[in-house]
Amino acid sequence: MNNKPLALKILDLISIVLLLAATYLSIFVAPMERVMGNVQRVFYFHVGTAWVALIGFIFTAALSVIYLTTKNLKWDRIQVAAVEVSVVFFLITIILGSIWARPAWNTWWTWDPRLTTAAVVELVYIAYFMLRQGLDDPNKRANFSAIYALIGGLSAPITFFSIRLFRTIHPVVIAGTNAEAEGSFSMSGGMLQAFFFALFAFTVIFIDLFWNRIRLGEAQAKVEEMKINAAY
Amino acid sequence: MFFQEVTPDTSSYMIAGFAITFLVLAAYVASLYLRERNLKQDIDTLTELQKAAAAENLKTDKKRAPKKNAKK
Amino acid sequence: MATKASHPNSLSKKEAAVGGYFKAISAIVWKDLRAEFRSWELISAMLVFSLLAILIFNFALELDVKTRQSVTAGVLWATFAFAGTLGLNRSMSIEKDRGCLDGLLLAPVDRSAIYFGKFFSNLAFMLIVEAIVLPVYSVLYNTNLFHPGLIAVILLGSIGYTSVGTLLAAMSVQTRTRDVLLPILLFPVAFAVLLSAVKASGGFLNGADFAEISFPINLLIVYDIIFIAISFMLFDAVVEE
Repeated sequence: MNNKPLALKILDLISIVLLLAATYLSIFVAPMERVMGNVQRVFYFHVGTAWVALIGFIFTAALSVIYLTTKNLKWDRIQVAAVEVSVVFFLITIILGSIWARPAWNTWWTWDPRLTTAAVVELVYIAYFMLRQGLDDPNKRANFSAIYALIGGLSAPITFFSIRLFRTIHPVVIAGTNAEAEGSFSMSGGMLQAFFFALFAFTVIFIDLFWNRIRLGEAQAKVEEMKINAAY
Repeated sequence: MFFQEVTPDTSSYMIAGFAITFLVLAAYVASLYLRERNLKQDIDTLTELQKAAAAENLKTDKKRAPKKNAKK
Repeated sequence: MATKASHPNSLSKKEAAVGGYFKAISAIVWKDLRAEFRSWELISAMLVFSLLAILIFNFALELDVKTRQSVTAGVLWATFAFAGTLGLNRSMSIEKDRGCLDGLLLAPVDRSAIYFGKFFSNLAFMLIVEAIVLPVYSVLYNTNLFHPGLIAVILLGSIGYTSVGTLLAAMSVQTRTRDVLLPILLFPVAFAVLLSAVKASGGFLNGADFAEISFPINLLIVYDIIFIAISFMLFDAVVEE
């Protein structure tokens, strides 16, 4: 494995700086929300991580199609990287949501469509890694995981609608209002600033981790190839 | 507004939220780093093995070569 | 008509190919059913498992008359789902172990015919088990489960569950962890079908009006169509060597 390219090293540093800046903006600069108090500040990170994770999952489904049509293992390595980083970000989203829900809804968890879909989606992609673990042949592994990621990606919206059979209390902050939502609020100037900065910061952090993970996947592929060569 | 509730103090939840975010990210970066280091070690041992195997082949080739000459 | 006149053979060839396709599907289904009716190992395992599950649910949930009303649909679908993975896993493992899959792959038919063959036989096993469990449940709990709407929902739900289950089982039996992997892969993906099936079944059992039931039923139909279509397209990639 060749050493890290300079651009990636710079991106690593930028990511750290952006993460700290986003933390500073959300804790010290954004005004306090009056009804919920300080806990509302995790919302910026909650939406930021959710945003990149969901984009990552959609990207994953697209990569499935690309891999299944080209059968080039490069796309498989990119897909694992995208899934893994998205799973980590989505885990953060779920934990932050839960921490926010405790004071706002007076419960850590509720079986609301968004929360349940989030949990199911996270489980789909954890199952994705368990599937990969059971397969040694790189081509078969790539094939199966592309198929599973595609099926998982397609099932997610249907899962969401199936849980819509029950009412939702999750607030929709960006578009529209939900009469039954609890804990919704409108964002003022300082809040919007922190919000969009967090979105931007997490996008950059995602790209940085994604890039690092792709390089790791390439090294893994190289080791696998060398081991096969050594066996002969 | 008279009905305005007092803003509750939910700072501890906020601190927990940010702490967990940093913890999860740090754990992930650490796992990336550790996996990369292990892979580097693997690559090093494998290249050494390959070199050793190549040297071995060279030796046997040299041994064989004079035999062939002798037969001639 | 014009094409038929200009290429007299093309249509009959196509018809022959279509006929061969359906013949291949029915051949696989008959093979599975005949083997099953000789040994009964798959259906009996699913059946005994289902009855044990119902027994455990009875004591775990303390199914008195009142709770029975609200949880019957959930108990039934949880039972069907677990018994279903048992059957799917076994049915695909047999193919893999006896090398039947390799033999089928050599046959000069489109591979999706293998998918549909396995899909129909798995569906048949599941429906047979359900056809026995329903009357037994009715007798044990003194509730009438023979509602045409409920039977339609069970059919739709089983189609959705086995359509994606057959594809995933074909994948999971080829892994090292094949004994445990199928439910882990299948349940999060089949979450929607189980949820809407429970909702629709519960609606029929509690006599809810149709407006309330129509949404989960539509969702089931959409799920069935999407997942049969996607499995049909992807199965080729699952069995290729």
